[in-house]
Amino acid sequence: MAPSLLLVLGVLAYPVAWEVWVSLTDFSSHSTSAAAFVGLANYARLVTDVDFWAALLTTVLYFAVTTAAKLVLGIALALLLARPGRGRALVFLAVFLPWAYPGGVSVIGWYWLLNPPITTSYSTFMGGIKYSVDGALGTGAWAFTSVALFNIWRGSSFAAIFLLAGLNAIPTELFEYAQLETRSAWQRLHAVTLPLLRPYMALAVFLSFTTAFADLANVWMLTGGRVVFPVLGTQAYWLGIKAGRFAEGAARSLSLVPLLVLAVLLLFHWFDRREEEDRAA
Amino acid sequence: MRRRRAARALLLLVAALYGLFPVYYVTVQSLKTPEEDVFGNPFYVADPTFENYTELFEGDAAPVRGYVIVPHVPFAIWVFNSAIVLAATVSVTLLAGVPAAYALGRLRPPGWVWWRRALLATYVVPHTILFIPIYQLIIRLGLDDSHGALILIYTTMALPFCVWLLSAYYRHLPREIEESALVEGATPPRAFLRVVLPMSRNVLVAAGLFTLGTAANDFMLASIFLLDRHQQTVAAGLGVMDVSLEELVAVAGVNLASIPILILCAFFARGYVRGITAAMVEGA
Repeated sequence: MAPSLLLVLGVLAYPVAWEVWVSLTDFSSHSTSAAAFVGLANYARLVTDVDFWAALLTTVLYFAVTTAAKLVLGIALALLLARPGRGRALVFLAVFLPWAYPGGVSVIGWYWLLNPPITTSYSTFMGGIKYSVDGALGTGAWAFTSVALFNIWRGSSFAAIFLLAGLNAIPTELFEYAQLETRSAWQRLHAVTLPLLRPYMALAVFLSFTTAFADLANVWMLTGGRVVFPVLGTQAYWLGIKAGRFAEGAARSLSLVPLLVLAVLLLFHWFDRREEEDRAA
Repeated sequence: MRRRRAARALLLLVAALYGLFPVYYVTVQSLKTPEEDVFGNPFYVADPTFENYTELFEGDAAPVRGYVIVPHVPFAIWVFNSAIVLAATVSVTLLAGVPAAYALGRLRPPGWVWWRRALLATYVVPHTILFIPIYQLIIRLGLDDSHGALILIYTTMALPFCVWLLSAYYRHLPREIEESALVEGATPPRAFLRVVLPMSRNVLVAAGLFTLGTAANDFMLASIFLLDRHQQTVAAGLGVMDVSLEELVAVAGVNLASIPILILCAFFARGYVRGITAAMVEGA
């Protein structure tokens, strides 16, 4: 156990501690003096910052939308793949592909598709969609949609494979029994399959966390590095690394911590429950 | 009945298209000449050319495009570097992860539930925001511009989930398996290496493939930590290329580099699913 703990905690402890410390100072590349301790001033500033609340809202919304879509698509694909049939192996590989394919390139594919460069033949068409979406829902809505679509595409592949593994774990007799006891396929899904899959779904949600809150590379690429719509991650990155206002960036990224802790504890409660039974036994 | 079968076939087709289309799309673009990229139909290529692919291997002869001299890329070196980094990441992750998982799942030191949870919780730590302090750490360790930096970071990104998966497996594995090996006269380390480890093959595959996918997906960290052109991985090298001019070449490059990864994934995909299943249910 020691090597792993040393690796993970050792590599992460210093950066996280640094981030916390910096968020309590006025460290910035704009000032020439040494960083001074300012207490919670950076956080206090966040509370009154309209941009911050907007970004927080977008981040949570982004997480909710993508995770819900990933779960629904993942369950649908997993159910489709769970039953034997012709061509299943090939479709299985096709479903596996989005996750296996390096995200750095497939993101370019999506970028060209959804936000094409001006010079392509279909850019007028896509531009039309972009402006109608932005017009109806406000500037940045299309960027939000494209980032979410990419995230869903890649994440649902992972979720589908993961949930397929979960479906395989359920004894077939249970399904046969359910077939006798329930009236419709929907009822069966609701009463039998979903509850049995719950720990897997919770774990999948947990794993999708990182892509929503932390992995800003997709957002960065798909919006061409512009802050078209604010997510806390990109805002923090922009402030901290592009603008050199390290302290404010750090405070912004750390502001997510309470939310993350709460959500992680909740999810642990769902997918790691057997632990308690073990101890009781 | 026939209608249901047709509906199912249709759904399977939709699922396949859903997964394949963006990759198909990227590949189509990478086979285009600049002219066709601008004027052609986005969904297919009328006049495929491997220009973008051969350009990757052109070596020192920097091609000239219009007024622009395109710098040559040491693509073969990048592929080699990527292979080193990925292979090392997977090995280090498994080497560090297996003992940890076995300890957490089987030996159960005091407080193991919380150690295990804490380890998994580090998965949500956003590495991309922690650039600056991570960079300081890397420099302190003397790893800047070396593959070690990426191996270290990727390992910490993949380890939490791998340890979780493997320890779930070892926890559910019946104790009798090791006990019978011990009765046969094996020492505990030997029983682990000869009996338990081979049994967990599928779970190891699952953990390894997860690590591979996680590491291969990154390009942001790679382009930040590797600046020397001859140390760069494919992701790092192509990530910093001038995207506006070179995008087709960049895509061709990653497309080419992703082929071995995709073959590995296709080869191990079954084991991946079985491994996750095995980890979550029982040690069988």
